[in-house]
Amino acid sequence: MKKLLIVEDEEALCLLYKEELSREGYDVTTVHNTEQVLEMLGRESFDLIVTDIRMPGRDGVELITEIMGLRKDIPIIINTAYQSYREDFMTWAADAYVVKSSSLDELKSKIKELLS
Amino acid sequence: MTSQLRKDHISGHWVIIASERSKRPDDFRPAQPEKKDNPAGFCPFCLGNETKTPPEVFALRKNGSVPDEPGWWVRVVPNKFPALTRGQPPQRMVKGLFESMDGVGVHEVIIETPNHDHEWSDLPLAHLRDVLWTYQQRVQSIETESQYQYIQVFKNKGKEAGASLSHPHSQIVATPIIPKLVKEEIWSSDRFFRRAKGCLFCRTFDQEIKAKERIIRVNSHFAVMAPFASRFPFEMRIHPLRHSPFFAMVADDELLSLAESLHTVLAKLKAILSDPPFNVILHQGPHPGLARKAWPNMESIFHWHLEIIPVLTRLAGFEWGTGFYINPVSPESATSYLKG
Repeated sequence: MKKLLIVEDEEALCLLYKEELSREGYDVTTVHNTEQVLEMLGRESFDLIVTDIRMPGRDGVELITEIMGLRKDIPIIINTAYQSYREDFMTWAADAYVVKSSSLDELKSKIKELLS
Repeated sequence: MTSQLRKDHISGHWVIIASERSKRPDDFRPAQPEKKDNPAGFCPFCLGNETKTPPEVFALRKNGSVPDEPGWWVRVVPNKFPALTRGQPPQRMVKGLFESMDGVGVHEVIIETPNHDHEWSDLPLAHLRDVLWTYQQRVQSIETESQYQYIQVFKNKGKEAGASLSHPHSQIVATPIIPKLVKEEIWSSDRFFRRAKGCLFCRTFDQEIKAKERIIRVNSHFAVMAPFASRFPFEMRIHPLRHSPFFAMVADDELLSLAESLHTVLAKLKAILSDPPFNVILHQGPHPGLARKAWPNMESIFHWHLEIIPVLTRLAGFEWGTGFYINPVSPESATSYLKG
């Protein structure tokens, strides 16, 4: 079973992602802040990371570049409500950019594509 | 007289040269150097990270090297997360007074060097010429798709100038419409040509050469001037001595001469203003096929040029409200610092 790490500060969204993506057959771990991510990556291995950008503390772009310093091989999907971060070339460290919407179809399809 | 209002005849904008606020280069030096953008050391444009960009569409690379692997010295890739995407000519959609169209266009990034810290003023002239030649190649390639009416080439250097990454890069954005500013420059040039039977840019240069006080330098093919109605402190215009509306028509020897001009003035800018953020903007005619159809005398009326705009001041309420600019450094004073 492929392991996903979801980085999302809104608890309700974490629950939704966990439920929907588990139903797709993934082993889903959610964390609410970026501080936990690097610690988690030191302990466990994941097949893919989905991260929000605008979060308290370290922002998602900074987090991605730090992950790149540790593990370049894990695919990363940026999942944000904002289009504007597309202009930041540091987001290229990620493999996909999915704007949050009421449907998780695009996110699910990107996860599938990157893990295939 | 404490200040002077000046008009730029090419764009039509007005500037207040505020000599009572007159500033010297030292007044613009940053209190502290810009923070590095990648503290963790990762940069998607650096050598070895080619898999983090979309597949290259053009590259200058060593013989025998493989696309999307190291071995390149200039590399062009599509924007990974573009605002505009390639497609068929978009239909205009009009609902009453609201007009829109699909976001069709091209957005490419030119990675100018594999070295994260080498700016234009650090590059050998031949390398900088290669960057400019790459611009030409991409412009000509995109022009084969006639749905893109205008191709904008630009460089943002430094966070304040809009660069999200310090690794040297430029961008090319092709749009399905001719932007308003470009149209205004062409209309001014067209009006002037019909009245004076000459190119507005060539005549401006002739007058500047006689006046001498805003000419920063001239080499075999290019002049660098501080425009009479400079909007920003230390703004420069690079004027090709040979009249042509299209950047793609610049000859190889002229490209080297352009590289020499850019290299010299940017090194000077870096020295007197402590490596300021800046924008370099190419102004050229629209897609040649369309331009010649819409303006049959395009070859005569328009004159491509480059603008260099150091980002040292901020636009605020007055500027946004009026379209005026307030420039605290007269172009004559800027010239004396930049040529010295």
